[in-house]
Amino acid sequence: MFGRVPAARRMTTADPKRLAVSLLGVGAAIGLVLLLQGLWNGQLVQITAYEDHVGADLFVAQPDTESLLGDTSRVPLSALEPIRALPMVRAADPAHLHATITELHGGKEFVFIAGYAPTGLGGPWELRDGRTARAGGEAVVDSILAEEHGLTIGDSFDIKGREFEVVGLSENSRSWMAAFIFVTDDSARLLTGSGETASFILVQTDQPAEAAAAIEEITGLSAVDPAFLAENDRQVLAGIMENPVLLMIGIAFAAATLVVALTVYSGVVERLREYGIVKAMGAGRLRILRLILGQTVLLAVVGSGIGYLMYLGGVWLVGRLRPQFWFSLEWRHLLVITAASAVMALVAAVMPVRRLGRLDPASVYRGW
Amino acid sequence: MVPVARRMLFTDRRRALLGVAGVAIALVMALTLDGIFAGTTRQVSRYIDTSPADVFVSQEGVRTIHMAISVVPAAAADEISTLPGVDWAEPILFSSDALRVPGGRRPSYVIGYQPGGRGGPQILTEGRSPGSGEIVVDDSAATALGIVLGDEVEVLGRTWLVSGLTSGMTSIVNTSVYVTFDDLAAALGSQGAASYILIGTEGDPDTVADRIEAAIPGVESQTRPRFSAEERSVVREMSTDLLSIMSFAALLVGLAVIGLVLYATVLSRLRDIGVMKALGLGRSGVTRLVLIQGLWTVTIAFVLAVAATFGIGAVVAAIAPDIDVVVETASLLRAGAGSVLVAAIGVIIPLIKVWRVDPATVFRSPS
Repeated sequence: MFGRVPAARRMTTADPKRLAVSLLGVGAAIGLVLLLQGLWNGQLVQITAYEDHVGADLFVAQPDTESLLGDTSRVPLSALEPIRALPMVRAADPAHLHATITELHGGKEFVFIAGYAPTGLGGPWELRDGRTARAGGEAVVDSILAEEHGLTIGDSFDIKGREFEVVGLSENSRSWMAAFIFVTDDSARLLTGSGETASFILVQTDQPAEAAAAIEEITGLSAVDPAFLAENDRQVLAGIMENPVLLMIGIAFAAATLVVALTVYSGVVERLREYGIVKAMGAGRLRILRLILGQTVLLAVVGSGIGYLMYLGGVWLVGRLRPQFWFSLEWRHLLVITAASAVMALVAAVMPVRRLGRLDPASVYRGW
Repeated sequence: MVPVARRMLFTDRRRALLGVAGVAIALVMALTLDGIFAGTTRQVSRYIDTSPADVFVSQEGVRTIHMAISVVPAAAADEISTLPGVDWAEPILFSSDALRVPGGRRPSYVIGYQPGGRGGPQILTEGRSPGSGEIVVDDSAATALGIVLGDEVEVLGRTWLVSGLTSGMTSIVNTSVYVTFDDLAAALGSQGAASYILIGTEGDPDTVADRIEAAIPGVESQTRPRFSAEERSVVREMSTDLLSIMSFAALLVGLAVIGLVLYATVLSRLRDIGVMKALGLGRSGVTRLVLIQGLWTVTIAFVLAVAATFGIGAVVAAIAPDIDVVVETASLLRAGAGSVLVAAIGVIIPLIKVWRVDPATVFRSPS
């Protein structure tokens, strides 16, 4: 008789309020873990914005340079012409990268100054408004930084005692803890006092391996794949922040699975009387177990869906309040968290079944 | 007077335990994540906080160590030491680089101090203070990078011999290494300059700080608490904002879970509460009843959660010494007040149904 009745679904939805509370509890717990994991992933993506988007196939750097964050590279500008003369090199331009703290509206702001040749590589990769910097004293400012400080095109601001005019606003130009400000290479050299050197020479080529070998041979410098720099930058960030962040995510994950387990356990315990009635009507232990597992899977799957919606809501909210933080969530994270929650939920659901097995069916018609 | 609320709550112990467990888990999560954030923020100003200096002098306009470049004449230390209220004055040199070994690297403060002076490591867990060409490394970074006494490490493009290990100087941002003032001056190509001057005072540090700024042009003079607060502020903006968002999200979700747990608890007791109403308990009496039950649940859960958080802190300290879990009073107040508030909301919402219910219905069989 039970095979034709969707008993698990009916029993689950019989008390909509209790169901809503359970789903919200499971959803909130899973949503939090997704939010923390997505936030951390976002930082790892964000940190390599320059390498990922600047459009270079090779970074020519001081020997032994392995990352933008962890190393300081200086290359002579005299290396530029020999590199440009190589037949496999399509373009080669100097890039100046300098991290500094500047005062904007009385507050300290950590920024990356990116100096580039006005007609070459190294400039802003996505302009939201205005144009690129073409002359000394002009700057393209990250749009979020500009918004935070009320800067619009035509406004002026100060870096290290030099005045710059905002001529453009760039998008997706934040790298973890700092925003990019793009200026001409001449302005960057004045700001950093780097003389006849640059941080890197950015190279475009269709034959990166051959070009790298040739550049290293004629200049004695390192020609590095941007993906290599990006991976090392991620490792630098991970080395700095990974331990506390992963501990936070781990604790949230443990708490979330416990909340899921507790929610399921409470739900089953609250329904013991109903299961007792089903047992009194002739259902075997296996049938009741299937009933409970059906309800649990329903709770875990729908709860995970609600958790994902809550994650999206959190991303939207953080994006409105703190747009400098990016989120990036891979499907495998969602699957792992859902699977772990489902396993905990099933364990929690099975625990009270033993009690049900000892139950005298007749007792359900008496008060418990 | 019969403690009805408490008796009702603990009559069904399993149900009461589930409520307490749910609230406690949410609180442990919120308190621990906040503790990690607080511990991390405190670590970043540890050089300043553990320094015996009462006042720090830097270049005018420079109010931090992190990501700052400060240059003051080293000779200013002699001038400052003659001012009233100044007990001692010592220059230190500072630079940022990475501590490198073949197995990896760690961003690092490099601090150059006068041998035997007060600017060096406050404790040595192993070995001795650095001599010429030698360096003292923090034990946490040393463990992470596999460095032991006598090893060679690379900092600022030259090789140093590890003469000693200090402790507690690795933070989320970086680690700290110590060399002699003269070695760092040579490595930086600096002559006659210092980065900061550490001052010990005999009187009120604020007065001495003001006196130094008045007497020496072109310098910034800050007391240790102010300098420390500036340092934490700049690092928080740059690095620890991420952790603060995580901690705040955990608090919000934790409170939501607490509200839901309490809501579900009252929902499962509606019949009992209805019986109390049928026996003559008024609307205010019913409300007081569930509020007291909610308060009992939150109080027991809070005590358990605080104990569990300290326990987690101890375990973390044992297995990951570079992470501090610091349970601050403000964090306890925030979580405590928040949980009482959401618990009150959580228990009162289901009561709306009870307020409207006909007392006689509770004596009919449950549907």
